[in-house]
Amino acid sequence: MVEIKHTLCPSCSVGCGISIISDADDIDTYPYKRHPVNEGKNCLNGRNSIEIYKNKIAKAVVSNSEADCDKAIESVVQGLKSKDSDKITVICSGNNTNDEIEAIKNFAEAQNYNLIVYADNMDNCDDVASYDDVEAASKVFVIGDILYENPLAGRRIVHAKQNGATIVSNGLTAESVTFNISDECSNLPVGEFLANIKGQLDDSSVIVVNYVDSYGDFAQIVDAAKSANAKILPMYSKPNTKGALNVAGAKSKDEVVEILSNTDVLLVFNDDIADEFDIKSISTVVSFSPCENETTKASQIVVPVRSWLEIEGSFTNAMGTTQEFAPAAEICEDVLSEVEIIEKLQGEL
Amino acid sequence: MSYVLAKSQNEDIHKAGECGGAVTSIFKYLLDEGLVDGVLAIKPGDDIYDGVPTFITDSEDLIGAAGSYHCAPTMVGNIIQKYLYDKKVAVAVKPCDIRSVDELIKRHKINKDNIYTVGLNCGGTVSPVTGRKMIELFYDVNPDDVESEEIDKGQFIIELKDGTEKGVKIHDLENEGYGRRDNCQRCDVKIPRKANIACGNWGAEDGWTFIEINDEKGQELIDGAKKAGILETKSPADAAVEGRLKVEGIMKKMAKKVQDAKYPNVSEMDEWSRCIGCYACRDVCPICWCYENCELNKDYFRLEANSSPQPIAFQGVRLSHMSFSCVDCGQCDDVCPMDIPVSLIFDKLQKKYYSRTGYVAGVSDDVKPPLYSPEKTEL
Repeated sequence: MVEIKHTLCPSCSVGCGISIISDADDIDTYPYKRHPVNEGKNCLNGRNSIEIYKNKIAKAVVSNSEADCDKAIESVVQGLKSKDSDKITVICSGNNTNDEIEAIKNFAEAQNYNLIVYADNMDNCDDVASYDDVEAASKVFVIGDILYENPLAGRRIVHAKQNGATIVSNGLTAESVTFNISDECSNLPVGEFLANIKGQLDDSSVIVVNYVDSYGDFAQIVDAAKSANAKILPMYSKPNTKGALNVAGAKSKDEVVEILSNTDVLLVFNDDIADEFDIKSISTVVSFSPCENETTKASQIVVPVRSWLEIEGSFTNAMGTTQEFAPAAEICEDVLSEVEIIEKLQGEL
Repeated sequence: MSYVLAKSQNEDIHKAGECGGAVTSIFKYLLDEGLVDGVLAIKPGDDIYDGVPTFITDSEDLIGAAGSYHCAPTMVGNIIQKYLYDKKVAVAVKPCDIRSVDELIKRHKINKDNIYTVGLNCGGTVSPVTGRKMIELFYDVNPDDVESEEIDKGQFIIELKDGTEKGVKIHDLENEGYGRRDNCQRCDVKIPRKANIACGNWGAEDGWTFIEINDEKGQELIDGAKKAGILETKSPADAAVEGRLKVEGIMKKMAKKVQDAKYPNVSEMDEWSRCIGCYACRDVCPICWCYENCELNKDYFRLEANSSPQPIAFQGVRLSHMSFSCVDCGQCDDVCPMDIPVSLIFDKLQKKYYSRTGYVAGVSDDVKPPLYSPEKTEL
């Protein structure tokens, strides 16, 4: 029987609502027009997030062979017991819910493992601009391509422009989609861009950023905003990065590389880091993931976990609003949630 | 075509319904007699501003879907097509819903024999978030304290939990950028005459639903529900029929004014310059049914990541392909992340197509092929 249920979009940190429409044969996304953040509007990435559920991993994998989940978890426990705790690293990501992040952090601390939260070289900010602040700003400075990567935050920049704001945009390439609505455009290193806009930044300005080359660049942006009394809104690539950063501080890319170079066992909770970091030299990579990705392909052990559509939880979006969600699709009973898996691991160690 | 006034014989349904509960009673009759597998109706989700399409298979559950939800800009055509094609379905349809159903029937995507369409006269819908904002701003009321809302006599009226009512003229709300969705403001199809029956309170006495019976199937519905003892009917007075037509005429006149104001002022290229090529407008369109086979998915139309979209390659191609079939439901506007008034642009061209061919998508009986014109026949 066809049914429509509400949930949150897992594709980035804007915090959009999205509905799921399903019957016995099919499942898809559907507009959630009552949601205050996006009013039923979802970007292509958001609508495609249904693929996470459609392409769920059904079976665990241990050394390239299918295994049942209990066996895979047993292998993980053996791997963890065989190494010193300082050689074991846990990566949690903004794809995890707030409950999962708490559980992962407590687990890592109890076992004295290294814990990594990586936020694309960005970090937490205590005081961030709200989407209403963006719309009301007289000047919006964009670093990265917000319209392309975070379109429903980009929409607020369009509203700011319609309200009379000046949009100054610094993109990575000459083809940034945000340039289409910008009054001034550049492709400068962050330091140079900040130097250029120094005279324009004031307390009616908002800097919206979703890409930096380095952790140092991000620190410069935060400093520039602070010294001009301007607001800042870091847009992260994952739905709950802000929630993860509220629990544990971000590591820079250099710090992550350093930690991984001293890691023998790496536990990756619902993240895909293989494209960004070299994990081939780590002897045991364990991936807890709802679907296949580059990291699961590079892992010795893959343990399937329930997708966001099969659990209840909460995500904290880029502007710091925590929103709850409930299961919105049929739950695969053979697969455990991350919290259940962590409890199992904890019980065995 | 004939007219009746109708009301439910079931006390609970009569009380829960917007004006006499005739619509819910007809659905109950269809379900209880096993004439349909289910009823596609709208139920409140998070609150009364959140209308969620729901497939009801047990007539006991119909009561939860009784009444009108003006803050529920839903669309049923694509749901029936994708999820209920093989089912016997009864469905409540606004004019844009039945227009989409009609276009999909023409495209053999909905089986006409499988559906009963119960039309709802429509003065327009309000986007849920806009609705909540305007209640805070213009009514000085917490939107959560609103028990129900209705559009009547040119006002958007809210009823509070304490039983009091407050109304504000729709014209005043819309002058300030609130009120009905843009496509609803210019919509000139107010009575869904392609549905088997069209129901509403225009011309009705208190506690009764005014029903226009549009075809044989509609007559069977009324006769069947009466025979089952759930519906009482009587003939409307001539003045009621005239009154209803007068309301329709006024609303169409208002729509024409909006059309005349909006069509000349929309700048397609300026609006399209914000397009990010996300295809949300195409994917939500109830008339677009090719899905993954859509030509626009082909490599030669695909954009490189982070590249500035080329409006003509997407919007322009789609406009030339689909505008004559546009039913002006506004779903494309609702889902566009960049707030491009897609339906305004499409509807504007549909009207031009109408002026040359007389064809109104989902309204005209004409089933000639797309882009048919008498001049071409002569050639």
